[in-house]
Amino acid sequence: MSKISKDMTKDEKKLTRQMFWRSFTLYSAVTPAKQGASGFEYSMLPFINKFYKKEQDKKDAMVRQMSYFNTNLAMAPFVMGVTASMEKQNSENDDFNAESINAIKTSLMGPLAGIGDSIFWGVLRVIAAGIAISLAKTGNIAAPFVFLLLFNIPVQLVRWYGGQLGYTLGSNYIGELYEKGLINILTKAASIVGLMMVGAMTSNMVKFDLKWNMVMGGKTILKSQQMLDQIFVGILPLSITLLCFWLLKKKNVSINWLILGTIVIAVVLALLGIV
Amino acid sequence: MYEAFAVAIVVFLTVGGQELLGFTMLGRPIVIGPLIGLLLGDVKTGLMIGASLETIFMGIVNIGGASAAEPGLASALAVAFAIIMHGGLGVALPLAIPLGIIGLQIKTLIYVVIVGPFASKFDSMAAKGNQKGIVRLHFGLWALQWFIYSLIPFFAMLFGSEATQAVLKMIPNIIVHGLSVAGNVLPAVGMAMLMKILWDKNISAFYFLGFLMVAYLKMPLIAVAVMGAIIAIIVAQRDYQLHNLSQKVSSKQVATQAAPTTETKDEQENDDFFD
Repeated sequence: MSKISKDMTKDEKKLTRQMFWRSFTLYSAVTPAKQGASGFEYSMLPFINKFYKKEQDKKDAMVRQMSYFNTNLAMAPFVMGVTASMEKQNSENDDFNAESINAIKTSLMGPLAGIGDSIFWGVLRVIAAGIAISLAKTGNIAAPFVFLLLFNIPVQLVRWYGGQLGYTLGSNYIGELYEKGLINILTKAASIVGLMMVGAMTSNMVKFDLKWNMVMGGKTILKSQQMLDQIFVGILPLSITLLCFWLLKKKNVSINWLILGTIVIAVVLALLGIV
Repeated sequence: MYEAFAVAIVVFLTVGGQELLGFTMLGRPIVIGPLIGLLLGDVKTGLMIGASLETIFMGIVNIGGASAAEPGLASALAVAFAIIMHGGLGVALPLAIPLGIIGLQIKTLIYVVIVGPFASKFDSMAAKGNQKGIVRLHFGLWALQWFIYSLIPFFAMLFGSEATQAVLKMIPNIIVHGLSVAGNVLPAVGMAMLMKILWDKNISAFYFLGFLMVAYLKMPLIAVAVMGAIIAIIVAQRDYQLHNLSQKVSSKQVATQAAPTTETKDEQENDDFFD
């Protein structure tokens, strides 16, 4: 990993370090119109002050970096690194097209948000939370720390090295990475882990047992839950989860309606003595 | 009064804090639950309810600023009320769900009405090159919006505690039981939301594999995560080989001389990646 920063000067290392710390605050003053624009600007200021000598050039760069920005936070330093390297090129070459900076920035944030959201929100957080929840249920007070460490160690490493990588690679390399299709392979691999975890947690966390038994002449002749368990363990939680998924995906039922509906049905079933 | 302060400060530092220290997951129920428990003198209840709320809010993700609920405020208040009233998930759940939705609405209101108008102020400061002003506004807006947001839990604790207690006492036991049942089924909605992010026809079988590993093999979640990672690595390796193969074939078709160069380039990259 140390290879990434080997071509960087001492100054540049310092600048990317400042960018790493400042980029934590990307969404501190998030606005509907420009999302993380102010945080992006704040992270780019060290570079702008370093690269540009003329006041007017500085102002132009500040206006440029105060544009709409919205992506996954783990991926943001990478975009900032790419942007910073382009600002450097712009400060050195008179014929550099400054508009291409925002074009690259904008073209990166969409796909990177998609990858970052599914890997970090969908997979890593789910694994961290799943492990922490099973710890917490046994009363282990380490649960919140385990959750924060499992999530943050990989995320902060990606942010740290992502920033350096973006800066050293610049914009030329990224198109290549996409063309090679490596991003798709990575996304698919991460989704496999995520989906397996979601399956495991469906079994682990969704609990729904029937209490209703068929009684005839004072004798219990059929225990509904026992019968279902013989067919397939956890068939009800699995079916309910798949039903919710189907409603969400195919019927576009909103989450709040789904939550409300689940609560109402559960209470009605409790009143009927079925659960 | 102490409880009101404690809950308000926790909301400020976790829900607000995760906007300052972006993407650190400080504002999740599994972190807030035990923290509120610690301050109100019942860590165990805080931990348990925090874990239960985490499973329910598991699917609530903040993607591109869009979300279905704000789990932080909901968890802080629900855990605090449950501890004060010596209740369990049956008390916390009916409070947490509506609070999550109300919290999100207030958060959105602050974001649009209070922070939103400053977007143009940022622009004019950038045009003037006013760096100090941008930094001050960037952090000032963070402090302002989360101070306002923290007033909700403060007043809810100050005035709401007795009223909530009175209302909750009126709820019959059978309904509280139904709500507990709902609390155990609701993770299904969360799982469904995660599946919406991750599901792809080609890899959907892995969901059922994950389910079986827990339902029948009784594997702990961490083992499922490691197993998933192993499968993902194998699949990614195969995909990578296939990908190289197809690239070779297509480059041979286009120009026979281009093939060796792509190969060495790929190999170099492979070395970089695993170093």
